[in-house]
Amino acid sequence: MRLPGVDPNRPPPGPFRPDFWRSPLRGRWLTSVLGLILLIGIPIVAITGLISNVAYQPLLGANSIGTNLSPLDLYVFTWPTRPVWLYALTEGLHVTIGLALFPVLLAKLWSVFPRLFEWPPVRSPAHALERISLVLLVGSAMFEFLSGIFVTQFYYPFPFFFTSAHYFGAWVFIGAFGAHVALKFGTMRRGLRTRGDVMEAAGSGAALEPGPVSLTAVSPGPVTMSRRVLLGTVGAGSLLLLVQGAAGAIGGPFRFLSLFGPHTNPGSGPLDFPITETAAAAQITPASVGDAWRLEVVGKQTLRFSREQLLAMPQHTYDLPVACTEGWSTTQRWTGVRLRDLATLAGVHEAATVTSDSVQPAGYVVTLGSEQVADEQSLLALRVNGIDLSLDHGFPARVISPAVPGTHCTKWVSGMQFSPVPA
Amino acid sequence: MIRRFRSLYGASPLHLLVLLACFALAGAGVVGWHLSPGDFRGVLAWFVAALLAHDFVLLPLYSLLDRIAFSRARSEAVAGADEQPAAANSRRRALGIPVSAVPYVRVPALLSALLLITFFPLIARRASAAFEATNGVSEQVYLARWLAVTGVMFALSALAYAFAMRRARQGRDPGAGPRRRGRPWLRPRAGVRSRTPPSQPGSPPAP
Repeated sequence: MRLPGVDPNRPPPGPFRPDFWRSPLRGRWLTSVLGLILLIGIPIVAITGLISNVAYQPLLGANSIGTNLSPLDLYVFTWPTRPVWLYALTEGLHVTIGLALFPVLLAKLWSVFPRLFEWPPVRSPAHALERISLVLLVGSAMFEFLSGIFVTQFYYPFPFFFTSAHYFGAWVFIGAFGAHVALKFGTMRRGLRTRGDVMEAAGSGAALEPGPVSLTAVSPGPVTMSRRVLLGTVGAGSLLLLVQGAAGAIGGPFRFLSLFGPHTNPGSGPLDFPITETAAAAQITPASVGDAWRLEVVGKQTLRFSREQLLAMPQHTYDLPVACTEGWSTTQRWTGVRLRDLATLAGVHEAATVTSDSVQPAGYVVTLGSEQVADEQSLLALRVNGIDLSLDHGFPARVISPAVPGTHCTKWVSGMQFSPVPA
Repeated sequence: MIRRFRSLYGASPLHLLVLLACFALAGAGVVGWHLSPGDFRGVLAWFVAALLAHDFVLLPLYSLLDRIAFSRARSEAVAGADEQPAAANSRRRALGIPVSAVPYVRVPALLSALLLITFFPLIARRASAAFEATNGVSEQVYLARWLAVTGVMFALSALAYAFAMRRARQGRDPGAGPRRRGRPWLRPRAGVRSRTPPSQPGSPPAP
């Protein structure tokens, strides 16, 4: 296939000429190694991301991030309540591995940069389609990584709703990534075998790489840094970012290592653990949760409780994590009333979901499933680590439930509606 | 039949099937964007901007910065265009500089830049105006942390460089080829070309 006005043998000057590319580090082996790391890591990030969507239980209430897109949404399982750290693990992996892969992705794209200026730009219909798929691949990769990384820093520069854009962008990415792996797996495997040749002949030219376009520079510049140092640098960068994610996810004595974690501890002593949103930011005033505060519980009948009345009910204590969608988590000792006890009081004896409302104006309204409501460890927490909740931690009452995303642990609860599940 | 397909399309039918599957899945994602609340064109604009920002701003920028920063090192390394790096390295050694400083500058610079790119919303205080209220942390703190981490990395690199120079000078043996002692992973593999003929037995012949 020939494009009109394009002479395959006479590329325009600049990056379209092979001798423009000077780095002696580029080559098939380097690209293949970086590709292999991404091939191992990206499925972990993709699967944990899809798991997060399941954990949000999008089929309940207003939990969905937008339109469900059958058959892409595979809710083949209901979100379990055990182990209690399940969401802390999956979301911690999603964010931490995602961060750690970011430098590998940048290095991989750098290593194939000359391919962007291939000449002729299109050799055949097959080549044209593949290059379109690469536009989708690189675009969606940068879109997914950047939007995810921005949001873990509470940076929302987008004119769109992050969660749905990140979720549907992931399908573009998964499609393009899958195709790229299918088409390039053999190339990668062969590239990995060229290690000996390439390492020894660093920068010795394109002779080692048959094929239409070589990644190895045809007229390389001097070797000012070895491939090993480059890979070591990528690894060190990966490790730096991995620690940022992991320190926040594991927490405890390691949290101080999370230098760029945007979460903070609003209290001291028993209240010294992180939060995502302060009471001030949520526009919670002491008056709105003062003595006049009542919890409205709606079931077969509607009841109203003061905080004293709730404290007079049977209290239960469990160690449960708050696992934020931003990847960090913190396990604390929560004390409060079981959700299933509240359901029984409201006359709901069968399996039921619960939708929680908050004093917070324009807060999320979220629904927990019947498995969560039935679980003995799901609480309306009134106290934490032996003392009353502070305003920043959700006073007068907050939801805490095993293995659910942190956003589903509503703070400053004002109302709970128990809805029986149709059998 | 397949041969005819190949000559028209340029690859096997499997190639086409894989790509059609890719486009179908991507199409479903785009439809999802379109159906979700919010600005669909905003999503597309961000998608294209992310691609262009990486391919046509970020990549050329760091290639250019690297070229500017290390052009002197390169010209020292290659007096003539055809000079082998090994010769350049031996010339540098003759000047009393046994170890190239380039990796020791480049590595911490790259790592610092990586942290800046990754965490610039925090470092440059670009996160939402309500951040401090939301979160209770002053964002100034992240700039300080980034500078501190950068400082520590350059300091460690300087130490490593001093150490490598010391070792190289101590173990110096005029006339010997490049040594492989010390920490080879911190040293450019200088001189490989002079020792290895470009085309080896077992590697594919040059076209």
